[in-house]
Amino acid sequence: MLFALDFFMRRIAQGLIIVLLVALLIFTLLRVVPGDPVRIMLGPMVSPSVAEQTAKEMGLRDPVLVQFGRYVGQIAQGDFGRSFVRSAQGASTGGTRAADTFNAANRASVIGLIATAVPYSLLLAGLAFVFALALAVPIGIYAGLRSGKWPDRFALYLSSIFVSLPNIWLALVLIFLVSAKAGWLPAIGYKGFSYAILPAIVLAVELAPVFIRSIAVSVSGNLMEAYVSVGQIRGLSRSRMIVFHVFRNSLIPLLNTLGIQAVGVLLGSLFLIEYVFNFPGVGLLMINAVFQRDFPIIQAISILACVVLVVVNILVDFAATTIDRRLQY
Amino acid sequence: MNTSSKILDVQGLSVDLLLGSGARRPVLRDVSLSIEENRVLGIIGESGSGKTVLSRALINWVARPLEITGGKILYRGEDLVTLPQRQMQALRGRKIAYIGSDPGSALDPTIPIGHQIVEKLKAVEPGISTADAARRVVRTLDAVRIPSAAQRFQEFPFQFSGGMMQRVMIVDALVTQPDLLVADNITQPLDVTVAAQILRLLKDLQRDFNTAILFVSSSLGTLHDIADEVLVLSAGQVVEHQPFEDLLSAPKHPYTANLISDLPKIWEADTRNTGASIADKISDSEVVLSVRDISRVYSTKDPTKLFGKQHVHAVRGVSFDVHKGDSLGIVGESGCGKSSLSRLLSLLELPNTGQILFKGKDIARLNARGQLDLRKRFQLLLQDPFNAIPPHFTIGRTIAEPLRIHGMAGSAIRPKVEQVMQEIGLSLDLHDKLPVGLSAGQRQRVNIARAMVLDPELLILDETLSALDQVEQTKLLALFEKLQRERGITLLYISHDLGMVRRVCNRVAVMYLGRVVELSDNQTTFFNPGHPYTRALLSAVPSIEARPYDPEKYLLEGEPPNPINIPPGCSFRTRCPFAIEKCATIDPVLTPRAGEAFAACHLAKIVEAA
Amino acid sequence: MAIGTDIDPAGTAVARKRGPGTSLFAKAWRTADFKIGFAIVLGLLLLSVIGPYLLNLSPTQFNVSKKFLEPGLLDGANMPYLFGTDQLGRDLFSRSLIGLRNALFIGVVSVIGMFIVGSAIGMIAGYVGGWVGLVLMRLTDAQMSIPVVILAITILGVTRPTPLTIILVFILAGWPAYARVARSVTLSERRREYVRAAKILGASDLRILLVHIAPNILPPIAFVAVLDVAKMMIFEAALGFIGIGVQPPTPTFGTIIADGTKYLMNAWWITTVPGLLLALSLCGINFMGGALERSRNKILQGVE
Repeated sequence: MLFALDFFMRRIAQGLIIVLLVALLIFTLLRVVPGDPVRIMLGPMVSPSVAEQTAKEMGLRDPVLVQFGRYVGQIAQGDFGRSFVRSAQGASTGGTRAADTFNAANRASVIGLIATAVPYSLLLAGLAFVFALALAVPIGIYAGLRSGKWPDRFALYLSSIFVSLPNIWLALVLIFLVSAKAGWLPAIGYKGFSYAILPAIVLAVELAPVFIRSIAVSVSGNLMEAYVSVGQIRGLSRSRMIVFHVFRNSLIPLLNTLGIQAVGVLLGSLFLIEYVFNFPGVGLLMINAVFQRDFPIIQAISILACVVLVVVNILVDFAATTIDRRLQY
Repeated sequence: MNTSSKILDVQGLSVDLLLGSGARRPVLRDVSLSIEENRVLGIIGESGSGKTVLSRALINWVARPLEITGGKILYRGEDLVTLPQRQMQALRGRKIAYIGSDPGSALDPTIPIGHQIVEKLKAVEPGISTADAARRVVRTLDAVRIPSAAQRFQEFPFQFSGGMMQRVMIVDALVTQPDLLVADNITQPLDVTVAAQILRLLKDLQRDFNTAILFVSSSLGTLHDIADEVLVLSAGQVVEHQPFEDLLSAPKHPYTANLISDLPKIWEADTRNTGASIADKISDSEVVLSVRDISRVYSTKDPTKLFGKQHVHAVRGVSFDVHKGDSLGIVGESGCGKSSLSRLLSLLELPNTGQILFKGKDIARLNARGQLDLRKRFQLLLQDPFNAIPPHFTIGRTIAEPLRIHGMAGSAIRPKVEQVMQEIGLSLDLHDKLPVGLSAGQRQRVNIARAMVLDPELLILDETLSALDQVEQTKLLALFEKLQRERGITLLYISHDLGMVRRVCNRVAVMYLGRVVELSDNQTTFFNPGHPYTRALLSAVPSIEARPYDPEKYLLEGEPPNPINIPPGCSFRTRCPFAIEKCATIDPVLTPRAGEAFAACHLAKIVEAA
Repeated sequence: MAIGTDIDPAGTAVARKRGPGTSLFAKAWRTADFKIGFAIVLGLLLLSVIGPYLLNLSPTQFNVSKKFLEPGLLDGANMPYLFGTDQLGRDLFSRSLIGLRNALFIGVVSVIGMFIVGSAIGMIAGYVGGWVGLVLMRLTDAQMSIPVVILAITILGVTRPTPLTIILVFILAGWPAYARVARSVTLSERRREYVRAAKILGASDLRILLVHIAPNILPPIAFVAVLDVAKMMIFEAALGFIGIGVQPPTPTFGTIIADGTKYLMNAWWITTVPGLLLALSLCGINFMGGALERSRNKILQGVE
């Protein structure tokens, strides 16, 4: 237990530093690029004096580090600010109304927008993982056990072809064939669970090769460990060695893949695929925010994505140390 | 066809190695042997003789690219070669057990050892309950003298030292009370005292468990301690099979005769071959290297404390002088601090306290220029000939590398390299070849040439010859003796091999737990040591000669304490059979006994007088 | 393992015949996968360079009378428009070839950039260690914790995307993975006996890094780099699709595919057929990458 305490304290401290660095990077980036936030908030029609006054009131003319400090302070209290362009009433995305002053109260809170979108993204991501694992686990294990033989080659070619399919193209082809032509599944927007299936398949095609490779390599690698053949000399059957030892130990690299690669891939492609399918998750929110230069949303989602990655990494590493105690040393 | 007492009867066994091109090379040819109940049959052969393949073939563990091409392996009349997989599985582990030379990788690293032995027990003895199995495992762990067995049952393989892990594997093998145990080189990776403990343990267990043992080894000395009869294997064939004593007194085959006569003699008083003969003339010559009370501590994370650090005391106050033309041996077992000492001496790390003086200058205080200059004058030769030279350079380039580093003019390099290659005994044809395909001995020569090309005054040999076989080792030792004679260089041998040290060193330092416990001339170290640890080491050296130190009296139990928590007082007292009250409180320092002989023991003088 | 050493003590050295890099490529080259992949990539590369001149069809010229022609491959009457035409009557085949050329260029250059930046930082972090290493690696971790897509759309969404800025963004997003590998290789090589031997001989740190350690970084990273070229090409297409890739009128896969979405029902080929060409070239690259990965695994496992 002492180890767990030490581990989490150390890793959470490191994670906080990482998140802070990322936040600073994104924050600075958005401040140094061309484009005045006030213009975005108030629209192009407003007079320069009003714009300048609003900017001063909001502290937008302070040095970037001061602004950042204020921002971190707000985040610490759970306040991610309010959208520049979205109104509190609904999903109106028209950002350029000619208002005289900027009244933060009638803009949607960022955290609220994200909270509405997150469940959709979680559903999509979860479904994608289920599909990908359902395909990858049997193929990967079979390929790993028959390393160098045809199942291995099959797995290799299958994953080579899968990674070669550009995700947006695959999405459109599936929309065209499965949804538009055949009418089997709905595709655009979200009106029920079935709307998540097609985008999840696209994501699963991208994830599956990562899993297949990881499983095949770690199973065949563990199979070659001395303890497996020695185990058979010690009187244990080969199948027992595979099921109780090889599979168990292959979980560690798989966990790492899940944690680092898969979540990274997912956080990236999820955004694109949500955009293609007009799926109302965090990704669609983000991409629309980029188009509207809605900085508070961009910042908040970037930071949260980073938090997710950091947390998943910590959990995965902890799980790995409970399977293989050597990692604690 | 077989008498009842024969457990295993091998008739005309042949094994081939299938080469990629469809060709095949015989590994074992027409091997026949038999082993009776309760006997220990030793098998000896040099590397490449096929003894590991033989030991594995006996339990029918032959996989591609190896193939059994003929012969029978009869276990109580049943031929294992043709036995169905299922029945073989049941026989293995239950009636025939095997222990290999690499205990560290024999078990799943992620599961506690006890659970894995229970798993095996339940697999080969269906019907036994988990609780009964666990009880039996703990009992057997106790029997092999693993301290606090019940607790260690729950520990993971990486938490065991090599010697303890080998005991675990012995438990794993014997827990089913097998008829036959095949032990393949099981003491090879272990330190001498630990290996001696394991041998003694195995002998006791063999008596208690009534198990026949087939003991494979590459050392006659080791077999001397355990085997009733010996079978000599050479190039895949049995060349001799005799009871041990007959083999020594009357070897029938010239190969065996050579094997016996080539063994280095430790306990022969004749010192013609040993460094002892040059001992006297040295001591008054110039001091080349002076080590003064150096210590080195490493900090690592303490797993038992939050954010805690623990300190590993690797080297604790070591002092000695090396004179010009000296051959000083530094001996000790793993963990004694000799590799840390080698890093300090070669300036890869600096000591935390103390000084290292090279010809009177403190090497820690040198600037970059001075350090580079110093490196030219003293060189270190590393153990592993395969890794110590870069694989992607030609041999000429490798040997020339130091000259380039030290800024020699391009045109002068080649003649110098060729001159050194000739001196070291490397064919000049090798100059433009890559090291691939070179034997270990040849590689080590490249390594030596690379060091000698700088004309060093002091050469440190850090286990340089350990990876080589007997024949190569003898040749290279002769080379070093020649170099020392002709160039007057000073040699520092860091080694665990007491036989070699006896042969070439005029002075010997014995290290234990980061400290030099004895520093004496060759003769005194071997025949009148002042420290009980030195005597324990000497009693453990496998040898076919009559030994002056009886293991029954001098051999230690257990293993050295953790260098993190060194006991107060004398650090050796926890294992010392002669410890007295004073040892618990006062840490003895290295004190002169007579002339050049020093020992760090309160009883040293008394021992000398006796 | 023990069997091998017992029979042939020198056998372990065979795997390292030439330099660590060359032997890997030589080994991969012997596989059919690598050759097939190489042939596909080489063929498409040649086609994308000389194809537009041979066809003599402009990728950007509007030709309203020829709009929405079905691919010539399906309907011979529509030759020479192999892939058909889009809503403005532009030849999709030559547009795809230009797109492929740009995608390959951006993919290869950005991967080379990541490799150089990442290896340098990783080698320094691994070799120097201590505080420098710690700070560099925490920076790497932080950089790795921003999903590439987010970084790219954040930067490109608010600045004007050009091929150069796209390459820079890719390098910025991609170097940490290379830094990690370079660091772990440096850490393990640094402990190797021959590096220790070189140090004892008096070799300077820079010399050890460049002469002894650097050549070892390529093998573990080569396949990652090759696979990354394909990844970056997909990514370039995705950016173009969102509208923040290389800007029109330069044709890219992303813009072609995005153009086609509006006409998916009546002119399905605008989106799908050029995408097939992209998928084919990616397949070629990934076959090469896969072959490299397997060769490396074999070398690591000591299987000859």
